[in-house]
Amino acid sequence: MNILLCCAAGMSTSLLVTKMEAAAAEQGIKCKIWAEGAGAINNHIDAADVLLLGPQVRYLLPQMKKLGEERNIPVDSINPVHYGMCNGAEVLKTALNLAATRV
Amino acid sequence: MSRLNDILENKVMPAAGRVAGQRHLQALRDGIILTMPLIIVGSLFLILGFLPIPGYEDFMARTFGDAWLTKLMYPVGATFDIMALIAAFGIAYRLAEKYNVDALTAGAISVAAFLLATPYQVPFTPEGAKEAIMVGGAIPSALMGSKGLFVAMLIAMISTEIYRFIIQKNIIIRMPDGVPPAVAKSFVALIPGFVVIALIWVLRLIVENTSFESLHNIVGEVLGKPLGVLGGSLIGTLVAVFLIQLLWSCGLHGASIVGGVMGPIWLSSMDENRLAFQADQAVPNIFTQQFIDIFIYVGGSGATLALVLAMILRARSQQMKQLGRLAIGPGFFNINEPITFGMPIVMNPLMIVPFVLTPLVMVVTTYIGMTTGLVAKPAGIAVPWTMPPIIGGYLATGGKLSGAVLQLVNFALAFGIYYPFFRMWDKQKYSEEQGAIEITTAKKLQA
Repeated sequence: MNILLCCAAGMSTSLLVTKMEAAAAEQGIKCKIWAEGAGAINNHIDAADVLLLGPQVRYLLPQMKKLGEERNIPVDSINPVHYGMCNGAEVLKTALNLAATRV
Repeated sequence: MSRLNDILENKVMPAAGRVAGQRHLQALRDGIILTMPLIIVGSLFLILGFLPIPGYEDFMARTFGDAWLTKLMYPVGATFDIMALIAAFGIAYRLAEKYNVDALTAGAISVAAFLLATPYQVPFTPEGAKEAIMVGGAIPSALMGSKGLFVAMLIAMISTEIYRFIIQKNIIIRMPDGVPPAVAKSFVALIPGFVVIALIWVLRLIVENTSFESLHNIVGEVLGKPLGVLGGSLIGTLVAVFLIQLLWSCGLHGASIVGGVMGPIWLSSMDENRLAFQADQAVPNIFTQQFIDIFIYVGGSGATLALVLAMILRARSQQMKQLGRLAIGPGFFNINEPITFGMPIVMNPLMIVPFVLTPLVMVVTTYIGMTTGLVAKPAGIAVPWTMPPIIGGYLATGGKLSGAVLQLVNFALAFGIYYPFFRMWDKQKYSEEQGAIEITTAKKLQA
């Protein structure tokens, strides 16, 4: 499972990455999680199974969804409260549920 | 209060979404980012050249010879002074990417078009002469840097628009059957490349016959000057900061949205300061990228580090205490999403008030401090926005203590404005928590 996170510069979401990795390790789920800036998503999306946007760049959602649809990669934005509290477990759950919708 | 949320949600957010999703603005921002790592590396050499240590210059001259500073400035010239060239490539590349056409080719065509708009002439004053004469056969480094930035931006957009239009309309040179597809593909860029080059060439020929003489002069007059006035004025900066805060209040990345417009302006005023600083002259501009990043947004957009400190020192509610501990680490590096989304400030009318007010007040105080000469102006050193406070202020002013002191004063101001609002919010959270505890104990008693 490859989870790609996106925010403006990839900085604040990288904070969440460590929390999500910890949650994944705790639950024994094997996955690769990484964060990139919006400009770099084009070069990374192919390696991902699911793409999550930070709430601060959710204006990119239509654009990113289109990118995802072309590749059959589900895209959504992260719940702001989970994002703010750096709730790794909840965001991981979102990612896994979203990935399950992949056809 | 819910009316404020209503306006934010139904008016500001859709408008912001449209602006932020606009592909040219995105390309502008993402393309110019390409220059940042270079400029930051160049800044490192710049700082080394002007360390504010007594006796440093003599020491360097003794150790490395009289030309030490000139030699140390080589990398500065190779990073700052090609800002426009890199932007011409980067913006075209990012725009082409958004149109799904070959980005690398678009970037190359844009660089050629940018150079075509630039006369290969530099002024030269021969020994004994009073006036400079123009010497041909040299690419003017001044126009490759911030002075050429607006031309580079325009040309990158125009050339990439032409490029993608021709490709998407499928106007290409058709090769007869039997020509290997790869060979045919290598000709794809020829028509758009020719059209772009021919257009800029004709433009240049026309402009050379006018009193402007070069495209750089026209763009400077028509675009550069008015934008400089907008970005260089107190009102312009207050409006920009207000918009950034308003967007963040809706939970949108304000700095990145407004930065598409203000970024190039603040970047070129930064470089003007750098050139003056390097030449040992008084720096001209107050409002640069570092003014915003380093002096106003201490702890992230909204200057929230002071708020984090208030949480750590004075929070009564568990939630705020926890959040303070979570947010202090990233806060030192000016990252504040845990605060904006976690407290939350986003869509929270009570906290939006100080969130918008604080940076506006700080813009005014910092402006006053810098115009009266109490504090040094930013020296054109590209300090990355993630630089922790105090160090950041010291470096951004070219090693002036007043820069660090100003950050402390601004921090104290921010604390003062945030504190009463924080207390109200904390009290509310605290009583919610107490209420929840009472309910659970009451239930336990009943059972």
